[in-house]
Amino acid sequence: MTQTKPAHTFDPNAPVEARHHHEPVSERAEHPVAISVEGVTKVFKTSNEVKTVALQDVSFSIRVGEFVSLIGPSGCGKSTLLRLVSGLVEPTAGEISVNGLQPAEARRRRQFGIVFQSPVLFDWRTVEQNVNLPLQVIHENGSKAAARVDELLGLVGLSEFRKHYPWQLSGGMQQRVAIARALTYAPPFLLMDEPFGALDMITRDRMAGELLRIWSSTPGTTVLFITHSIPEAILLSDRVVVLSARPGRVLRTVNIDLPRPRNERVRESAEFYAYENELRRVLQAEHADKVEPQPTEQPEL
Amino acid sequence: MSEAAVASASSTRRPRLSFIDLSGTSRALLRGAVVVAVLVAVWYAAAIYARATGNASLTLKLPYPHDVLLDLFNKWSIYARASWETGSRAVIGFVIGTGVGLLLGIVMIQSRWIESAIVPYVLASQMIPLIALVPILRAILRDPDVVRFYICAYVTFFIVTIAVVRGLKNSAPVAVEMMGSLNASRWQTMRFLRFPAAVPYIFSGLRVAAPLSLIGALLVDFIGANSGLGYLLVASLTLGANAASTTLWSALVVTLVLGLVFTRFVAYLERRVSFWQPAYRAGATA
Repeated sequence: MTQTKPAHTFDPNAPVEARHHHEPVSERAEHPVAISVEGVTKVFKTSNEVKTVALQDVSFSIRVGEFVSLIGPSGCGKSTLLRLVSGLVEPTAGEISVNGLQPAEARRRRQFGIVFQSPVLFDWRTVEQNVNLPLQVIHENGSKAAARVDELLGLVGLSEFRKHYPWQLSGGMQQRVAIARALTYAPPFLLMDEPFGALDMITRDRMAGELLRIWSSTPGTTVLFITHSIPEAILLSDRVVVLSARPGRVLRTVNIDLPRPRNERVRESAEFYAYENELRRVLQAEHADKVEPQPTEQPEL
Repeated sequence: MSEAAVASASSTRRPRLSFIDLSGTSRALLRGAVVVAVLVAVWYAAAIYARATGNASLTLKLPYPHDVLLDLFNKWSIYARASWETGSRAVIGFVIGTGVGLLLGIVMIQSRWIESAIVPYVLASQMIPLIALVPILRAILRDPDVVRFYICAYVTFFIVTIAVVRGLKNSAPVAVEMMGSLNASRWQTMRFLRFPAAVPYIFSGLRVAAPLSLIGALLVDFIGANSGLGYLLVASLTLGANAASTTLWSALVVTLVLGLVFTRFVAYLERRVSFWQPAYRAGATA
């Protein structure tokens, strides 16, 4: 176990400074590192014989308040990386530090709000009861809890639907409930695992805009966002980390230097096109590479 | 076919459909009435046939349906008391069995070790024929009511245990991860996620257990008691008075109704408790 380097140390109890999301990337470079992933490898033992290398020697870091996307083809270990960062699984090799803590310890301190691809709402609870679940877990009830639920439902624009059950809502609305629930503890980290992957294109685009709005009203929240949509990644992120197909390796990290606050119209700019082409080229070049046999490749299941 | 023709065809069919399409409850009542009418008709046909053969014993064993109705009407207080005796004990035993089954199921999923330690005994318990168990229990416990409670609980707990174990283990892994991200305790994950998610499974078990529990109580009436519906059944067979076969049929009809009411009540409870299941959602056809 290596000690965390000074650059990575961060006092989790220090107040998170409010910041404006439209400050340029160059200024955000001054922010302390919040999540550092160093040389992480994850090997799954599928059986005694077969080992699947999901991630190989992955390194990147995220600064406080940054919005970073991980992009790559399916099966590249993106979701595994999110589970590693949130301490739900342990790396085979390498180091992950979250505000200077081990991921599992950070999870115990409730530093993460996680949004999964499926909304994972409880069908037996109404919208407000679903959002209230995290408060129930910490035995927070009464007017304080009710006020927090009100605030969150207002934030995601579902105040009118508080008494509805999840199965009475559209897919996009369900995912907004899931976002509200993930934000209940006002966690410093929001981890999102292809949250809009199951939605239709029109809803998906709208949800990306919604997420930008929600993020700008929760200052200081660091987001790790997993997607396989290039435009979605560019629209949302300060930085995009491109992963290769299995085993996942970092191919390139691209800074997205588009002004904030952003909205849907950013998509029409020339810079946006340029980023889109750049990312597509990186992913395609990698695909061409795959024709060559790779020493680490394992049989697909 | 042109578009206009399709439109007119569907618009002419519409009124006929709504004429046939009765509301849900009246359709169910109609269906029930048809089934009962068919059964009664078959019964009459059989009774008439029995009399035509001239076989006296067969005639005695198969009374007309109206004889049975008359018998039920004349001796309603006897049947009511017997129903209460058997039915109430079956329900109490069923409730006890459900409680034991829930507890055992919750204990069993705590660890694989505990589960594999308990499972063989739970399975073995169901290998013992009740016919053998009732006289033994009667000798040990003496009170026939206690024997009824015991047997009904015995039949119920097994089904509930299996259902609970399956239900509690069947929570979506991603939902368990979500609870993990909230740093919920084991007990909180049980209370907020695993247990509510298991409720539909538990009710499927209860639906099976309810009639079996009634049969269990009836069996105790048979061989462990001198009262109840089961006793009426046996007494009518062995104490062969002339009117006795009517008693057998009356007792059977009463048992049937009791069983139906019991299972219907469980189904009603399920609809109230796990209203969120896809089958019960507004507009669901299933």
